[in-house]
Amino acid sequence: MAHGVRAVHGDDALLSPVRRPKEASAGRSLRQVFGRDWLAAWLFLVPCLLVLVGLIGYPFVSAILLSFQAKLVGTPGVWVGLQNYQDLLFGRDLSAQFLQSVRVTVFFTLVADVLKFGLGMAMALLLHEQFKGRTFFRALFFLPWAIPSLIAGLTWKWIYDGTQIGLLNMLALRFGLSQDLIQWLGNYDLAIWSVVVAVVWASTPFWAMMFLAGLQAIPPELYEAAEIDGANVFGRFRHVTLPGLASVIIITTLLSTIWTATGINFIYVLTNGGPANATMTFPMLAYQIGVAGAGRLGVGATISLFFMPVFLVMIFFLTKRMLAERE
Amino acid sequence: MTLSRRTTRLIRRLVLVGGLGLFAIWTGLPLYWIVITSIKPNLLIYREPQLFPSQVTLDHFAFVLGQTPFLQYIRNSVSVTLVTTCLAMVIGTLAAYAIVRLSFAGRRWVARSVVVTYLVPGSLLFIPMFQVIYSIGLIDNIVGLMLTYLTFTVPFATWMMIAYFRNIPTELDDAALVDGCSRLQALMWIMVPIALPALAVVALFAFTLSWNEFLYALVFIGSDSQKTLTVGLIGLVRGDTFPWGPMMAASLLGALPPTLVYLVSQRWVVSGLAAGGVKG
Repeated sequence: MAHGVRAVHGDDALLSPVRRPKEASAGRSLRQVFGRDWLAAWLFLVPCLLVLVGLIGYPFVSAILLSFQAKLVGTPGVWVGLQNYQDLLFGRDLSAQFLQSVRVTVFFTLVADVLKFGLGMAMALLLHEQFKGRTFFRALFFLPWAIPSLIAGLTWKWIYDGTQIGLLNMLALRFGLSQDLIQWLGNYDLAIWSVVVAVVWASTPFWAMMFLAGLQAIPPELYEAAEIDGANVFGRFRHVTLPGLASVIIITTLLSTIWTATGINFIYVLTNGGPANATMTFPMLAYQIGVAGAGRLGVGATISLFFMPVFLVMIFFLTKRMLAERE
Repeated sequence: MTLSRRTTRLIRRLVLVGGLGLFAIWTGLPLYWIVITSIKPNLLIYREPQLFPSQVTLDHFAFVLGQTPFLQYIRNSVSVTLVTTCLAMVIGTLAAYAIVRLSFAGRRWVARSVVVTYLVPGSLLFIPMFQVIYSIGLIDNIVGLMLTYLTFTVPFATWMMIAYFRNIPTELDDAALVDGCSRLQALMWIMVPIALPALAVVALFAFTLSWNEFLYALVFIGSDSQKTLTVGLIGLVRGDTFPWGPMMAASLLGALPPTLVYLVSQRWVVSGLAAGGVKG
């Protein structure tokens, strides 16, 4: 930076290289079309756009193309039109599996969201209080956020172990809560709940952090005013806290819904979709059909695409909100 | 019914202590179980399971470090994480500066696509991504992971830097431009030093996300020499048997870096999440 010419700043600012009004005529027309700093801007953006277009945009388009092909890993694809879509909806083997994955995904995501909301809110409200050791508890409660989800998944698989050496079975036997060993992950009705608990353990901190930040932004005067008006704890929560957190709640719920529904790590480790597809969410099914088993890339891509519109709606809504908050 | 001040305070206290206790158990028990399993001798894991072990050993750590390619996995994780994080910081900073400070046609569009791509979950795109990586010959190669991890770190980095740059007064870099600085110099010498806290948040999240990533690594990587920590851990399972002692020892070691980073930079984690929303 040339310090010597700093005095120029001020009256002469209009004549600075960027804002000079007179341009060569070719330059002017380009600038009129593409904007004042178009050349510099696009140069700065090249690496970012390479990532966005090459590694996200292109795969997205190729997923759509793949969904119209029968293609195995390492072989050229064959165009089959809407066959993959038709198979998933009406096919003899696939449709039952696919519809099951839709049911499991919706149930899993809803239940997990509700629990994360409740626990996250409780955690945030507790940590919002003033007490000794608050920093310690906050650090401890948020710790699962930092732990790789795969490691959290493995840990829970170990806790759920179906023999007497698993932590939960050990505790259940010792405290006489159950006479038999419980198959937390092997029982058809129980498995999905076990997965939900593990997922909730790992992502409640995210909700709590978002809520806590939101709580801290609510002006304390509002609580005082409500208290003077005679509102009790629940009244204050209902009329001050909830409205104050509305925007945070919407954003957190949408973000978490997108990530929970499409997450695969916990299910992969805990149940691999079993028993008998009881925990087979759609990304898990896409993985099993598209990559793991026969490597039917076309069908796998179609499974993910089926859900894309739902997520795109949420994503566009979120984008609008997030950009609006920034501007 | 109105309660006396003393009673309300007592109830408040009870709820607080009870709530904190329950959450401490809920959060702490699995963590405790990782640590305890990693130092329990096999006898106390399999034969006479104990909640509080009467005997401890470092055998599992010795096994993991000596008899498995664990250190290789860690090295790979470190390389992938470092390269991805550094690239994301540079790319994100450049792009954010252009979006915030430069005027060009399509600016809003670019900003919007950054946010949209940031929100598109990677697990919806792993199959076509597999094809892309396959076609450029980077399957089973950590370079392929470095590239694909840019898909979530770059949009995030750009998004965070946009937020921070917006709050830096325009006068500062205008002055530099008047002094004859180029745009790049203004960014390097004026904006970046001011935005160091934001860059730290970006580094923190990019590191955590890359270190913890599993699905891409699972799908793209096959051989031990290229595995990162997360897929490597799965590889410790032999058939249907889970060697829990070594697995928990490896888990503990693998969870340590992000945990330490988190504990050191807690404040930034919360403010970063509030600003950008990362990982649910």
